[in-house]
Amino acid sequence: MEVLAGLAQGFGIALEPMNLFWCFVGVFFGTVVGVLPGLGPSATVALLLPLTLQMNPTAGIIMMSGIYYGAKYGGSTTSILLNVPGESSSVVTCLDGFEMARKGRAGPALGIAAISSFIAGTVGVVLLMLIAPPIAEFALRFGPPEYFALMALGLSMVVLLAGRSMIKALLSMFAGLWLATIGIDLFTDIARYTFDRIELMDGVNFVVVAIGTFAVGEVLANLGARSSGQNFTVPKGLRNLMPNWQDMKDCRFAFFNGSLVGFFVGVLPGAGSTIASFVSYGIEKAVSRHPERFGTGAVEGVAAPEAANNSETGGALVPLLTLGIPGSGTTAILLAALILWGLKPGPLLIQDHPQMFWGLVASMYIGNLMLLVLNLPLVPVFAQILRLPGYVLYPVILGVSIVGVYSVDQRLMDVWLVGGFGLLGYAMRRLDYPSAPLILGLVLGDLMENAVRQSLMMSNGDISILYSRPLAATMLLFTAAILAGPMFRQFNSWRLKATEQEA
Amino acid sequence: MKIRTAGLVAAILVSAGVADAPAQGFTPDRTIEFMVHSGPGAGNDVFARSVQGVLEKLKAVPQNIQVLNKTGGGGLVAMSYLAEKKADTHLVAVFTSIWFVNPQIRKQAKITMDDLTPIARLVLEPAVMAVRADSPFKTTKDFLDAAKQNPGKMKQSGGSLASRDNSYRFLLMKNTGADWQFISMKSGGERVAALLGGHVDMMIMEPAEALEQIRAGKVRVLATLMNKRLPSMPKVATLKEQGFDVPEVPQARGFVGPPAMPANVRAYWEGVFTKMYKSSEWQGFLKDNLYEDGFLIGPGLNKFVADYTATMRGILKEAGLKLVR
Repeated sequence: MEVLAGLAQGFGIALEPMNLFWCFVGVFFGTVVGVLPGLGPSATVALLLPLTLQMNPTAGIIMMSGIYYGAKYGGSTTSILLNVPGESSSVVTCLDGFEMARKGRAGPALGIAAISSFIAGTVGVVLLMLIAPPIAEFALRFGPPEYFALMALGLSMVVLLAGRSMIKALLSMFAGLWLATIGIDLFTDIARYTFDRIELMDGVNFVVVAIGTFAVGEVLANLGARSSGQNFTVPKGLRNLMPNWQDMKDCRFAFFNGSLVGFFVGVLPGAGSTIASFVSYGIEKAVSRHPERFGTGAVEGVAAPEAANNSETGGALVPLLTLGIPGSGTTAILLAALILWGLKPGPLLIQDHPQMFWGLVASMYIGNLMLLVLNLPLVPVFAQILRLPGYVLYPVILGVSIVGVYSVDQRLMDVWLVGGFGLLGYAMRRLDYPSAPLILGLVLGDLMENAVRQSLMMSNGDISILYSRPLAATMLLFTAAILAGPMFRQFNSWRLKATEQEA
Repeated sequence: MKIRTAGLVAAILVSAGVADAPAQGFTPDRTIEFMVHSGPGAGNDVFARSVQGVLEKLKAVPQNIQVLNKTGGGGLVAMSYLAEKKADTHLVAVFTSIWFVNPQIRKQAKITMDDLTPIARLVLEPAVMAVRADSPFKTTKDFLDAAKQNPGKMKQSGGSLASRDNSYRFLLMKNTGADWQFISMKSGGERVAALLGGHVDMMIMEPAEALEQIRAGKVRVLATLMNKRLPSMPKVATLKEQGFDVPEVPQARGFVGPPAMPANVRAYWEGVFTKMYKSSEWQGFLKDNLYEDGFLIGPGLNKFVADYTATMRGILKEAGLKLVR
């Protein structure tokens, strides 16, 4: 009852013309920066921070959150069309999204991305509204050993991302783990693999590696194939540009899975939407009745990660609003904004400023609807990009990639690196090494190393801390089950072969 | 009006002992850049944008201000960039404590604060020592005694080894003979979550973070780590009052210019920041963030730069970091 009253009050606030206007401004800018690779929501929110100081805090947080979740919608566009991940959280979307585009299904891919973003974004808000305080308390039970187990669970997804060869997938993942060690070590302050270059002291930017191996590698591979002219087919007619009923049915579980995984991972400070998208993709493939279709353009492979990275926003707002703890780069800026507005973020924020909280929640329902209405009509427009012949499209991809990586930190070094990782991506393609495990290793490596070292410092070197706590142990058991899966299947196929021969 | 501003600047310059440097003769004629060493949204980026907001509101500068993010190498990229822009009169940068610390521990660093032109110190960030509200430790002594009896068993969450959190740990350990673990965590959010979740025993917090947690009954503050009690927490005693003679480790933020900045340009910027400092908007910003007013310009600032470099040098050495210069 309390929730309904709060929500009614919230809609009253969010539907005020000025707040509605700022909500639209936020989601619109969010979509734009999401589409542009490199420029992320945290940079945009920071740029607008001085502007919001003149605004009323409720309007300010409505707009800034709009940018945050709006960017997640736009992020999938370049992943699907150009194989250029627009945000770090949409790398996984490339895997099946770009394959769908290649098969002439760019429209349905973009459509399902928008629909699943809408569903998950809304589920994220519902969960934020209903269970924020208890779930935040639960998240606090995650200490370093639990993070280690979560990262191990994430890394185990490698067996699901592997193509034909498990060994090649593992090699690719270990290369990613090694890349994650580059930079100044947090615990000893020692530089690792930096070759005395200041640019490498903060490590290799994840976006650089992802854009290099995915987009630049793809372009190089196509140049090698000497294919000229039209590469993609774009079917005519609005009907073929939207997901059909079968697509929607195939994605039912993906919507659900992505929404929940995204929200729960989002609640954990420091975990992030990239991990959420990998985990939900892995779960989707693991439970699928036809896992072999993943990586070749399965519509669920787009729906699950896109759902995850959108409901993550709702999750990430939980520790911020209920505990005053920022869990991600963007929520850290929102925290700073709340302080600048004089709102005193902390555990009592919602109690002290219910109108701000409920106004925000209501505006997120409205904002998600706006995003759906804004994005669906754009699908046929964006899909036309693929009509460009190869000799135009590939230079465009290269240009977008270079501008994208440069815009992250304005460093020329990153442009050289993206070229280098492009060559690596090309070589991996030619030698049939999957590049997704490389990204997985790079994303999780840093977090996992930190977690294991923090845990061992906590226990004075006693390794049992990693598996003696119940939550951590449960996650490690799941990890073991996932890792054992392929071996079991292998054994089963041998057994089947053996029985066939006997028969 | 103009006379009054000039008079004000002159008064400050007189008190600073450089009365012969006139404030006239320099007015920005293009976009001004505020450089920060981290990406959008980090603490000092938000700080720069807040200063930008206040100056724009006061119309204290005749041109637009733009924040320029030069990330990398924990501030080293930004310091090198500033050093290269020797003659640039429209570029100033936010300095923080790592501008003093990193050049001493990174051999890649080519520039130190001595090479640059400090303009104004604006804030000092206070710190307090906090434990969970249900912790058995009621005083600093309780915690330190426990850490002494169980060496290496107590845990503190914090940033890097070169951070202030760790400096205080070393100073306290040296002073009392206690010994506890320092668990480095990347983001402030993770550090607070580790404390609230009971994964660590103690944390050094900023009062702005701590106050709300105290109000919600989640955190207890054991001591103020500054030399004086904080106006926001008048009941919390300082370390000295509790019998621990540990020097204050200040954490300062302010603005610094390129090397060999002309005296009239430096005077212009000193005037701008002085005007801001006197405004109610700025005082409100300090209050909302619970920062200590650290306004300092002129020779006082030069002395601070020298003293602070020396203090940090001693602490870093104590903390076991290798000094490179």
